[in-house]
Amino acid sequence: MVTVRRRDAAPEPPWVHGVSPAVPPAQISVIEAVFREILRNNTMWQYTLKRLIQGITTVWFIATATFLAMHNVPGDPLSAERGTSEAIRANLAARYGLDKPLAEQYFIYLGNFVKGDFGISFTQQNRQVNDIIREHFPVSATLGVLAVIFAALGGVLWGALTALYRNRLPDTIIMFMVILGISVPSFVFAALGQLTLVNLNALFGISLLPVAGWGTVSHMLLPALVLGMGTMAYLTRLMRSSMLEIIHSDYVRTAKAKGLPAARIFSRHQLRNAILPVITVLGPAIAAITTGGFVVELVFAIPGLGRYFVQAVQQLDYTVIMGTTVFYGAFLVFMVIVVDLLYGWIDPRVRLQ
Amino acid sequence: MNPPLLEVSNLQVEFDTYGGTVKAVRGVDFTVEAGRTLAIVGESGCGKSVTVQALMGLIPMPPGRIMGGSATLRGIEILGRKTVQGREVRGAEIGMIFQDPMSSLNPTMTIGDQIAEPLQVHRGYSHRQALARAIELLELVRIPEAARRAAQYPFEFSGGMLQRAMIAMAISCKPTILIADEPTTALDVTIQAQILDLLKDLQRETGMAIILITHDLGVVARMADDVAVMYAGRIVEAGSVDDVFYRSAHPYTLGLKQAMPTNHRDAVQKLMPIEGSPPDLFAPPVGCGYCPRCPHAMSVCAAQPPAPFSVADAHYSRCWLQHAQAPRTVVGLYTGGHHD
Repeated sequence: MVTVRRRDAAPEPPWVHGVSPAVPPAQISVIEAVFREILRNNTMWQYTLKRLIQGITTVWFIATATFLAMHNVPGDPLSAERGTSEAIRANLAARYGLDKPLAEQYFIYLGNFVKGDFGISFTQQNRQVNDIIREHFPVSATLGVLAVIFAALGGVLWGALTALYRNRLPDTIIMFMVILGISVPSFVFAALGQLTLVNLNALFGISLLPVAGWGTVSHMLLPALVLGMGTMAYLTRLMRSSMLEIIHSDYVRTAKAKGLPAARIFSRHQLRNAILPVITVLGPAIAAITTGGFVVELVFAIPGLGRYFVQAVQQLDYTVIMGTTVFYGAFLVFMVIVVDLLYGWIDPRVRLQ
Repeated sequence: MNPPLLEVSNLQVEFDTYGGTVKAVRGVDFTVEAGRTLAIVGESGCGKSVTVQALMGLIPMPPGRIMGGSATLRGIEILGRKTVQGREVRGAEIGMIFQDPMSSLNPTMTIGDQIAEPLQVHRGYSHRQALARAIELLELVRIPEAARRAAQYPFEFSGGMLQRAMIAMAISCKPTILIADEPTTALDVTIQAQILDLLKDLQRETGMAIILITHDLGVVARMADDVAVMYAGRIVEAGSVDDVFYRSAHPYTLGLKQAMPTNHRDAVQKLMPIEGSPPDLFAPPVGCGYCPRCPHAMSVCAAQPPAPFSVADAHYSRCWLQHAQAPRTVVGLYTGGHHD
């Protein structure tokens, strides 16, 4: 009979071997007990909590950096106005709190943020920054999410396909398209897409898809495709190399030795493992797509948030810049956390270690 | 007479590489009987792993190619086929475990699910049934707290435990043959012994045959009933374990024995390495593959490949020294009773 082996027992924690001699022995056992308790309960919830705290810290950092950067730009929102006298300017500055010391402005600003109040726009008539975001962000987000879904599905599919057909015709064709997708900028795709659509609509004599504008699902398809193109090409390359590595891995050989059908090996053993690096870059990809969407929004005349963001920077509209930047920042941090949690769900090593 | 459980004859495998075609296996014959253990021994690159991978259909094609030969399970050809009389060969008739258990299991799937998979695929078990059976199998390979362990992932297991899980997976469909490709090479010595004991016990309980690939003569002595010594893509000597160890009939086997340390207190003989390196299998030698390294080589050795000379019942050696007209001068080389 085999007795219980030492190798299989849980490894002793490093602090057992007297790493901290300053702490008396009685306390070591207490600390150890606490550590063991935490390790035992290190579930998905703790991981989520940890990531949320990190995320809030990141957003605070973004808010602070934006605030400081903006105040170091020459001029202020009032200096652009024509014919304002010194007295009126001073009154306005006092009204908006711009005459207060920087530190005090900073704390007022943070306080309002915590309350969820981004203030009133300096350049647009009677509009709350909150209203601008509420009205236009859903448009950008819908477009962005569609583009990301499109990029991720396409990237995984094409990447897996090129790996399975390595060095054969499908691989060559797709990889050529990938190089195009990576090197051609999105506004070129946007223009070419519109041109093609116009010609197709003219050819069939009916409007297959609208060329620009916003409103229905058919409005969203082409812009989302164009917006997701570059990311899809990038993800295809990533998926291909990751898949090639997995195809030759020992555990896929094991799966073959178990006599599993190819479809099951693909879905259970190859895809899930090959997708991990793709999910890792999905967070930054979402960042690139939602913030980089304003060019596509412009070409397709889509009323997204990107346009206001760019306008605000040009006009030094403090509240809108800060509001949209922090909002974008918070959104991206949130998406990265979602992706991290997704990663933990797919890869048990991340969740449990 | 019934055909043997597994009979491999004249198996030839090649690989295309950028440097040319490697003739990895150049005509291998052996038989495996039910309930017995055949050890295939040889140094790295001699073709022992490729031989069993060819049986399991694990040779990647391309670049690999099975050039000829046959492998029959109870008289029915299995090379290039997936099923024999309705039973799937891979995973059902023949199970296989590998050298490195750490990388041979899927990192994102629980151990229980991985053991359950062959049962679901080959036996039509439901997921629940298969998982219950997987826990029984984990108990069978002596993993404590099997139910809890089945829900864990490979990174939560030690190397020895992983190899046990691999064994559980390989025997899940009650195979008639278990192929173990260097099963203990990646493990430390105490765990090695436990795994070998486990394999022996399982063999006694289930009556399955084992093909054990190894380069460790100690493992061979402990486990094998029969031994095939491979060199440069061919089997150079084969016989029962006693025949090959105590009545070695090939200079390569003699060389291996002399290069093996003993733990006799009064051993005075120095370890004798085999000088040189194995032949280039891009251009395999015309004659005997061992000829350039053999201290007893004759002119015929380089010119013609030796035939298998029978030195006793079920014991043969591919060496010209076994020819009736060869000189009987090599100390320690068994040349069979009938020549004396």
